[in-house]
Amino acid sequence: MSAPAQSATTYDLGFARWVYDNIDGGDKLRMCMQCGVCSGSCPIGTEMDHGPRKLFMMIRAGMKEAVLTSNTMSNCVLCYRCIVRCPRDVPVAYILQDLYTKAVEEGYAEAKDSENARFSKVFWWSTVTHGRVDERVISAGYYFSGGLVEGVKKGLANLKIALGLLRTGRMHLGAPKKIKDTEGFKAILRKAKEIERREQ
Amino acid sequence: MSDGATESKKKYTYYPGCSAQGSASHLDKSLRAIAPEIGIELEELDDWNCCGASVGHLESGALPNTVLSGRNLALAQKQGGQDILTACAACYINTHSANEKIKKDVALRRNVNEALAEGDLAYDEDLQVRHACEVIVNDVGMEKIEERVTNPLTGLKVAGYVGCQTVRPFANTDAGGKYDTYDDPEFLDNFTKAVGAEAVDFNLKTSCCGGAISLISPQKTLHLIKQILDAAEEAEADVIATPCPLCQQNVEMYQDAVNKKFGTKHNIPVVFYSQLMAVAFGMDAKDDAALDQNVIRAKKLEKMARK
Repeated sequence: MSAPAQSATTYDLGFARWVYDNIDGGDKLRMCMQCGVCSGSCPIGTEMDHGPRKLFMMIRAGMKEAVLTSNTMSNCVLCYRCIVRCPRDVPVAYILQDLYTKAVEEGYAEAKDSENARFSKVFWWSTVTHGRVDERVISAGYYFSGGLVEGVKKGLANLKIALGLLRTGRMHLGAPKKIKDTEGFKAILRKAKEIERREQ
Repeated sequence: MSDGATESKKKYTYYPGCSAQGSASHLDKSLRAIAPEIGIELEELDDWNCCGASVGHLESGALPNTVLSGRNLALAQKQGGQDILTACAACYINTHSANEKIKKDVALRRNVNEALAEGDLAYDEDLQVRHACEVIVNDVGMEKIEERVTNPLTGLKVAGYVGCQTVRPFANTDAGGKYDTYDDPEFLDNFTKAVGAEAVDFNLKTSCCGGAISLISPQKTLHLIKQILDAAEEAEADVIATPCPLCQQNVEMYQDAVNKKFGTKHNIPVVFYSQLMAVAFGMDAKDDAALDQNVIRAKKLEKMARK
């Protein structure tokens, strides 16, 4: 008699509970009735491994690894159609957003489709350093975050756009715009991070 | 012509946002120009910071991202506590939602204030964060716009492209001013009609431009932008008008990429509603309407403008 075939999928049956308790809006996930309005309304569902409806079922099934490594969250364009249309008031996009934050935190997002995580890293760096985001800094920083070759390629692909913005005064050549109280600003954000760790 | 001296103006604390100093500086310029003409006094929020947009939270985590808005709210409180007005969809959605969460969640407010104390700031009032379009609908009203028009944009065909975050998920909530619907908003077409232009039938008005994903991985979203351009062309629009900085940028700057990928020949100007108003108010094409800042120039609109 042969042994039953081993499934490649691992199931963490506490995962759904963890999502209910730890993800912003996650408690409302209990209300999902799998109607699929969210997936049907999604403008970018074709780019996703799984639509939100399926992802929510996978959460309930305890497929932690498959959920946190899926590109569903990173492809969300935040159009909020799913949120305003959900008949059970599940804040779908907010749940995806926070799931992605947790996936990045725990190192899952690096596995696949990490462009958003890289963009976000550069964006946040610019925010913390200057208090404001400089579009030139984040574009360049992001283009080169994937290495020199990719940076040059992406830069060249967007050169015409950059020149257009420069010509029309929508991109400037000076130093990045900064807030006045950068020290106070940084201290506030440091403290916020500290509180977040403490509360976890 | 309105008489600024005798007309009552309402003062708002203006939060321009980062794009106002870059890719959407023509929104900022034209809004500042038209505001006093329709009874809006804008006082810039002193030392405002970035809202985190759609991507900050990934790297920062939830609380630091909320605290970004917390700092702006605390600064606005210090500045007199007037309603905060922003014209940027991302600034609005982040600041408005953080504000509403803080109002309802005592523990969150305590945490936000614990962080803000490091910069000698506190937020303990309940301010209102409002979108410029909602203010124009609810506080100004279409009549006032119509009255101010001295140079009606007769014959200009406008595709009103609202986008997503200007109306979703708050336009139809009490806190969001209940000023329009999510799928078929009318405010932008009403602005168009108020300035004497023609609002063409454009059924992709709340279709998505790809948002930040269009900046990060445009190959995933060019087809979304193409649909918007196709629909505007089919409706024979002279210009696409939008309230959103990211919509304006994506739909304008990716037209070459769309044409290259799909073999189309799109070359349609994408302007802000505030630029239309500035021209219709007989204001300066460059100094007020900032028409020189559109990469794809709105030639028909430029011809209508005062030089």
